[in-house]
Amino acid sequence: MIEARELSKRYGEILAVDHFSFVVTQGEVVGFLGPNGAGKTTTMRMLTGFLPPTDGGVEIAGHDMLLDPLAARRAVGYLPETPPLYPEMDVAGYLLYVARLKDVPRSRRREAVDRALERCGLTAVRRRVIGALSKGFRQRVGLAQAIVHSPPVLILDEPTVGLDPTQIREIRGLIRDLAAPKDGEPQHTVILSTHILPEVEAICPRVILIHQGRKVVDAPLSQLTAGGRSLEEIFARETGRDVVAEEGAA
Amino acid sequence: MRHITSIASRELQSLFVSPVAYAVLTLFAVLAGFFFLSSVLQFNEYVMRIQQFQAFDRLQEVNLNDYVLSPFLGTMSVVLLFLIPGITMGLFTAEKSNGTDELLLTSPLTIWDIVFGKFLAAALFVLILVLLLGLFPGILFFYGDPEIGKTGAGMLALLLVGLVYAAVGTFASSVTRSQVIAFFLSFVLLLLLWLLSILADLGAAGGALGTDTWIAGFLRYVSTAEHFERLQKGLIETSDLAYFGLVIGSSLLLTKAAVESTRWR
Repeated sequence: MIEARELSKRYGEILAVDHFSFVVTQGEVVGFLGPNGAGKTTTMRMLTGFLPPTDGGVEIAGHDMLLDPLAARRAVGYLPETPPLYPEMDVAGYLLYVARLKDVPRSRRREAVDRALERCGLTAVRRRVIGALSKGFRQRVGLAQAIVHSPPVLILDEPTVGLDPTQIREIRGLIRDLAAPKDGEPQHTVILSTHILPEVEAICPRVILIHQGRKVVDAPLSQLTAGGRSLEEIFARETGRDVVAEEGAA
Repeated sequence: MRHITSIASRELQSLFVSPVAYAVLTLFAVLAGFFFLSSVLQFNEYVMRIQQFQAFDRLQEVNLNDYVLSPFLGTMSVVLLFLIPGITMGLFTAEKSNGTDELLLTSPLTIWDIVFGKFLAAALFVLILVLLLGLFPGILFFYGDPEIGKTGAGMLALLLVGLVYAAVGTFASSVTRSQVIAFFLSFVLLLLLWLLSILADLGAAGGALGTDTWIAGFLRYVSTAEHFERLQKGLIETSDLAYFGLVIGSSLLLTKAAVESTRWR
């Protein structure tokens, strides 16, 4: 579903992402972990086609991001670190606009917007102006815009950052829902980045750890924690840093 | 095409829910009223003077088009030079500060969709301004008899100049993250473009450029003022129309390059 081949990104002298490869199959939920500045956001931006890689390639749902960018981008729902919202628009109007940009056919647009509103718990605020919403609601609108066109691939950059514990639980539940098989068919494939370890333990069966632009761990969560070690220990060992301070944010 | 209209209509909606559009429309209407009134009063005073001196032969050549509309539209073209950058400054800068550029650039759109959509929104706003201005010649038609062809040419000239402003403003807003810088950049670019012919005139007067050298000719051709004035006189020529098309086209081409370059940084 998602294939990254030898992805590299160079900013001047700095190699932000260094020959990063992985394959994610349909229906998987992958936790993309790493300390701040490890290259998570840069990698996600390359996966979504926002940034072109210096080297290597990306394939989304069988479409090469460089050769067939429109088809590849159509297959991706993306929640950037800051939700891309227009503060002066109302929630439903905004989602309708995104649905148009993402090529949802006219006849199905209303329905797509209603479904996204419902899944993200936004039906009650559908007519409210985005700028007047609380941070938690804005994050949900961000998530709704990522799923409004039912893309096979979801790429979420720190989807729960800045939310309160209840909201975090709701968003996690929603992400689990999105990936859960429906009628025996696997649904969305999800990559979510975070530096909150319990989040990964709660929703991601597979973990990819990035450190200084390089992939250092790529394994099922169950296998990583099989030896009785916690994810925290693994994270600390692989990145050579103390993670206690960062985990405090969770 | 569908994407272009989506982007343009969202942009216009945003303009009209914020106070910017109303502020610009109000200021424009007030200034237009002021300058129209002053042109009419000046015309009146001139006619009175001619009658006092009994210079009736002069009366033959005085007309509403040359003595009221021309100076009025000329002034309005300068007023637009201040106002349109205020409309275009937010076109791309607001996307960058909202983070919505990430939405646009990861959606199945081409960069041309985005650039044309933005320009279309600005162009429609310019059209609204020019239509609003059409009220004033309308008043003249009600009380007098200006030439319809010449009046139409004058309005067309103003519309085309407004579209040039919109295109240059679109470009200015694509190269910076700051609305203030976008405003001043488009303002300065437009002012220079407008005034280039002055260099040619000064150069000719001082003998530095000569009157018919290619530099003088080039400066005159590039200057918006020359084409505006010729169109205003009712001379609709292909070379002038081509000039407006050329400036708008190259501004949009530069805008596309600027938007694309954010990807490669």
